[in-house]
Amino acid sequence: MADLEDRISESQKMGMQIVKESDDDRLMTLSVGPQHPGSGHFRFIVKLDGDYIVHCDPDPGYVHRGEEKMTEYRNFIQNIPHLERPVIHDSTNITYSYSLAVEELTGIEVPRRGQFIRAIASELNRQVYTLYWLAIYGIFLGHSTMFMWPTGDRELFIDLLEALTGARVTHAFNIPGGVRNDVPDGFKDRCLRQITYYEKRLKEYEDIFYNNPLVRQRTEGVGILTKEDAIRLGVTGSVLRASGVPYDIRKAEPYDVYNEIDFKVQYMKTADSFARAYVPFLDMRESCHILRQLLDKMPEAGEVRAKLQANPRGPPGEAYRRVESGRGALGYYIISDGTPKPYRVKISVGSFRNMLALPHLLVGAKMGDMPVIYWALNYWPVEADR
Amino acid sequence: MTSSTSSSPPSSSSSHSPSPSFPPKSHTPATTAAGFIKAIESGSKHLLIKRFTLRYPEQKLKFVGDGYQFDPKRAVGIAGLRGRHILYHDKCTGCQLCAITCEGIAEAIGMVRVDEQWKHNKKAIMPQIDYGKCVFCGLCVDACPFYALFMTNDYELASFTKEHLIYTPAQLAIKPKYSGDVEIKIDDHGASHHG
Ligand code: SF4
Ligand code: SF4
Repeated sequence: MADLEDRISESQKMGMQIVKESDDDRLMTLSVGPQHPGSGHFRFIVKLDGDYIVHCDPDPGYVHRGEEKMTEYRNFIQNIPHLERPVIHDSTNITYSYSLAVEELTGIEVPRRGQFIRAIASELNRQVYTLYWLAIYGIFLGHSTMFMWPTGDRELFIDLLEALTGARVTHAFNIPGGVRNDVPDGFKDRCLRQITYYEKRLKEYEDIFYNNPLVRQRTEGVGILTKEDAIRLGVTGSVLRASGVPYDIRKAEPYDVYNEIDFKVQYMKTADSFARAYVPFLDMRESCHILRQLLDKMPEAGEVRAKLQANPRGPPGEAYRRVESGRGALGYYIISDGTPKPYRVKISVGSFRNMLALPHLLVGAKMGDMPVIYWALNYWPVEADR
Repeated sequence: MTSSTSSSPPSSSSSHSPSPSFPPKSHTPATTAAGFIKAIESGSKHLLIKRFTLRYPEQKLKFVGDGYQFDPKRAVGIAGLRGRHILYHDKCTGCQLCAITCEGIAEAIGMVRVDEQWKHNKKAIMPQIDYGKCVFCGLCVDACPFYALFMTNDYELASFTKEHLIYTPAQLAIKPKYSGDVEIKIDDHGASHHG
């Protein structure tokens, strides 16, 4: 190697700089997103040492829309259509907690039938959302049947919601004071028939996906989020329940008619990506039971919407209400100064809170496990950015 | 982190009693083969089942009613598809409430002058809707106190230019012909669309 050293010293004489290899050169920085179809308008920067992730830096905000600021310029009713934009696949749930908070501020009483209808719409929407999430999780794992099936079955729920609300995806159905319209004729029968069909399909999902040894090997033991970490990081929804914490807002703080419904909080203790993928599935199944009870207990007739004044307003004050959405607790904190427009609105979303677990889970994992861990967090980038 | 922990089967629990089919068994060599067979079986069954793909545009779905309507007296809507609007010229008073509502939503409604003479519409202004902006929320329908503005089943509004997306009061008055008659049939064999 004498030649080499000679050559180096020669070169240095001629003014060339030799940079010694440092430890940093081992690491490769990779930007996943922001337009990568898998990440969905969200970027995270990972540093890789070989195949292992040693650093992860989530960078949300690519689709920030200023929803909170926008609410300050619109009255309580006009806010509905734009507030559902952050998560259009779950648009009934995101306006649900908003309506609850506005009702608390303005002191509007929702008629009983209206409460049932909006709980039904919210459960149907939960199915739509979770099926969409599952479809993407399927394709993340390269399981294209699991993309096709949920997307197809989701269509049936969308048809059902279309009959109920008049829109396929952005329903604008919940409104302070109840729901926009009563259920159409024959809705109950149609809904029940579909739930029966759907429960059969869920069994097939389990056979082809959740009990599929390949999926099991891919997801089991990957990305462990212990109970303590889950609580410390403040995750919510299915991610929290997959870590062994049986916490569901529908049970913990029942809103509307949920305290009359008998259902179990679905949770698992393995705390891995499989558990996080399986808990939403269990939720869908539980949601079918909830839907049956809601349809059964719904009063046959009655008002569905309280009559509002033209520009509903209440005394100055504040309200915080939350609901269990497809991604966990979804809360609205609204301050009113007595005018028909809110003074300040803060939206607390499940997606953002679950994202905080991402660096924790990815550091130490293999790059190939990234999709498995990332999408199992039940994360919706647009909702996190608001 | 990535080492397999498959030795510990996933234990799932619920606050009361576990539902019958879970915890699903973990993959041991014996169940692996069975798991594959089951997965393939559940997928291949569907080769024989009719697909429920809707063959749009040859087939079109049937909707409930003639579109979303609103009853201002009872202050409640009537279920229906929220498609293109319909404006009843003999009822619209030009009160602009629809336009005021939409100002905070999509700014899709503009009030324009019409040539018609109506006793109830002295200013002779009526809404014109820009479907390049409208989000089909239907809150303008909720705002109209005179049963003048409803929505219809017409959702095929694509056009080659942006100008064609702006519907004048005269265009809004036309009742669309919608002939969707396909319904989803759900029975023991699965779901399918029936004309
Ligand atoms: S449906 Fe909504 S967005 Fe469209 S014109 Fe009416 S209020 Fe405006
Ligand atoms: S459509 Fe209704 S709300 Fe709009 S100007 Fe005419 S009467 Fe008024």
